Amino acid sequence: MREGGRPTTVGRTYERARPAKRVQVTLLRLAVRSHRTGLLMTALALTIGGLLNSIGFAQIAGDNPAARALFAQQMELLGRQLTYLLPAPAQLDTMAGYLVWRWFGSAALIYAFWALLAGTGAGRGDEERGLIELWLSAGVSRTRLMAVRVAGFAAVAAVSIAVMLIGTAIGAAIGQEPLPLGPLALQGIAIWALTLVAFGFALVVAQLVTTRRSATGIAGVVVLGLFMLNAAARSGVDVGAVRWLSPFYLYERSTPLLRGGSLDAAATAALAVTALVLVVLGVRAFVARDLGGTLFRGAPAKTTVEWRPARDPLLRLPVLAIVDQQRVWIVAWALGLALLAAFLTSITKTMVDALGSSDVPVLRAYFERAGINAYADFVGVIWFSTLLLLISLFVVAQVNGWAADDNEGRLETILSAPVSRGRVVVERIAAVLIACTAVVAVSSLAVYLTATSTGISLPGGRFVFASAAVLPVAYAFAGIGHALAGWRPRVAVDALGTLAVVGYFAQQFTPLFQWPDWVSNISLYALYGTPMSKDDWGGIATLVAIGVAGTAVAIVAMARRDVGR
Amino acid sequence: MTTAIETKALTKDYGTGRGIFDLDLTVQEGEVFGYLGPNGAGKTTTIKLLMGLIHATKGSATLLGLDADRDAVALKHKIGYVPGELPQFGGWRGSEVVAYIAGLRGDLTDGEVEAVAKRLDLDLGRKYREYSHGNKQKLALLLAFAPRPDVLILDEPTTGLDPLHQQEFYGLVRDARARGTTILISSHVLSEVEHVCDRVGIVREGHLATVGQLDQLAGMRAHRIDIVFAGPPPIERIKAIPGFEQVAIQDHRVSGMFRGEFEPLLAALASSRVTKFESREPSLEEIFLGFYK
Repeated sequence: MREGGRPTTVGRTYERARPAKRVQVTLLRLAVRSHRTGLLMTALALTIGGLLNSIGFAQIAGDNPAARALFAQQMELLGRQLTYLLPAPAQLDTMAGYLVWRWFGSAALIYAFWALLAGTGAGRGDEERGLIELWLSAGVSRTRLMAVRVAGFAAVAAVSIAVMLIGTAIGAAIGQEPLPLGPLALQGIAIWALTLVAFGFALVVAQLVTTRRSATGIAGVVVLGLFMLNAAARSGVDVGAVRWLSPFYLYERSTPLLRGGSLDAAATAALAVTALVLVVLGVRAFVARDLGGTLFRGAPAKTTVEWRPARDPLLRLPVLAIVDQQRVWIVAWALGLALLAAFLTSITKTMVDALGSSDVPVLRAYFERAGINAYADFVGVIWFSTLLLLISLFVVAQVNGWAADDNEGRLETILSAPVSRGRVVVERIAAVLIACTAVVAVSSLAVYLTATSTGISLPGGRFVFASAAVLPVAYAFAGIGHALAGWRPRVAVDALGTLAVVGYFAQQFTPLFQWPDWVSNISLYALYGTPMSKDDWGGIATLVAIGVAGTAVAIVAMARRDVGR
Repeated sequence: MTTAIETKALTKDYGTGRGIFDLDLTVQEGEVFGYLGPNGAGKTTTIKLLMGLIHATKGSATLLGLDADRDAVALKHKIGYVPGELPQFGGWRGSEVVAYIAGLRGDLTDGEVEAVAKRLDLDLGRKYREYSHGNKQKLALLLAFAPRPDVLILDEPTTGLDPLHQQEFYGLVRDARARGTTILISSHVLSEVEHVCDRVGIVREGHLATVGQLDQLAGMRAHRIDIVFAGPPPIERIKAIPGFEQVAIQDHRVSGMFRGEFEPLLAALASSRVTKFESREPSLEEIFLGFYK
């Protein structure tokens, strides 16, 4: 039913019977409620992050001007090599400068991706769950429904950002270097504006495709692309005026916490206007389209009726049937990672050359400890550590799909065929490994070709070995993920995601902050070792053993549990 | 006759009185058995136990001599199943869902798929998410009937089907029965199963209340009657009507449950001016209220 933003006759009667304000409040409460998990997760994780970073600065930067100056010099040099990830470093001898460089850029990126998930949830996820139909049938207009949904997210995001800032401010106060509250609030406004842009963009994309998953994938790739566009510009690549297209660039123009810095009113206004325009476009598109459909519908292409099963032979083959079902998703991941791989490899030479010309002891110690001595090693450490995280997150997404198989009745359908529960577990994990092999192969090929074209000579055998060694990591994650999914499907995704992210940061921070080795060794990635420079068959065997143990536990858990919603 | 489905003290206890308890049930080979009960009575729990999807707290279930839990994989070669809640296959086409399940089963021929799809008028070329609820139900029926299994377990199989396709479904059941297939159909509507069932079992609050031939249960057949009189209702005459129970009177409206022939009822109303007379089949809950009172 096309409603055109006007409530139905029944709806008008229904709304008239209740005060409009009460309806509005109810809708807003529901909108806020739908974001409460994201609110709790972001507020908790980012508050802890802000607290640790600010307290950490006080611990590592020293407490006298000379130590601070040395620290700032060392970190600034390091920061200039990490501009593909973090904002350009400035005033690193101050708490505010350090946090702007080390913390707020990362926090803004996390908020942007949360907003992206929330936007696709509001624009498509609620519809998939039948909630939109329910609300519209209760007489709420589409415009009002979506407007309140946007307002709900804006409020929740503001709360989360405020809590994060308070946590960071408390950490700074503990570190005896309190942050000025006014500029801190302005920093929050800049993050909030960026977050709303990501939400609005995701809302628009959700109107153009039929599933939340597709919307999340497309919006994610675009937002990552915009982030990389700004990162490339930060790293010295001449992208010209196109840089203005990146909301991350607009966000980074505001530096209210730095000495002499301020909120860039024009850039922040541009973010706000962009968010507003995107939200309006998203709402208008939502009003204009059919429920369950997309904004742009082509002419019906199919004229003949089909009575027979699909002829795709892969659909009838064990394991490959699962891979075949996810072919678009796998290709999207492979291409996304290939782009990222090409970008990181393309800036390798510049960064290593800059490092070689420095004689900062801390940096040398960091890179030596991380095993970086040459271009090839740099590729090994930077690219493969990034790949490990991303391939783990790919596995986490698969685990999410396994949990959904159960919730959405597909597992019940599969088990009503002559298929053992053990076979389901083994096939799923095998399918994940095949998909990971494809993703790793494509992205590694991108690294190899880019390296060759920029004059970096990668040792072919070692590089292939290092790429192949990523698969045992994926297997370990898949085994653990399925074991958890068989026990608590809803917990599995969060637990595995935490394992991946915490493991990644433990690996990255240990050499940077000279933490004890055991911190790094708690990460599963520690077992991957540094295969670009030396073999570590013990670590690989341990990863495989973890994968086998996880698979065994998953088979037992699957056999013992009840299936069905 | 050989036993096709047998449960002995089959129990699934979810706590707080939910589940199915001490179920002793026997269905003979080639029999069409109606498994009736109100919502939440334990029908779907029983069916999931028979399918080996959930594990019994105690007791056992066998189908064709095989244990429903231990021999689940071997059994599935012989069983067709329609779940109570339809799965979600998102952007898959119907034909892709069928091909995938055909790959898992290994006994689904294209010819049989085509035959059932045509009978149900189900276009397999469309995306699953574009299917109406009725079409999703048809796809579930196709996946159950097309392999020509020895046993069909159907959990509320006519949900969402229009009357025309309900008739087609009854035709599929009759054909399967003619081939000797044993069929268990769950439903919460008595009239739905009486078209095709030989025997009916009724489950209530997790316990099997009764099992019998359809005609033995005819006493349960009843109608919910609502009458609105132009003036005050003839209360004494109404109360004297045989088979009119659970009578409730409010102003000019009289309602109640009626069992038996309609003639005495109509005769009793003949001398009164009636502005509205409505008769409908009661829900199983309403029948139970009367039958077990």
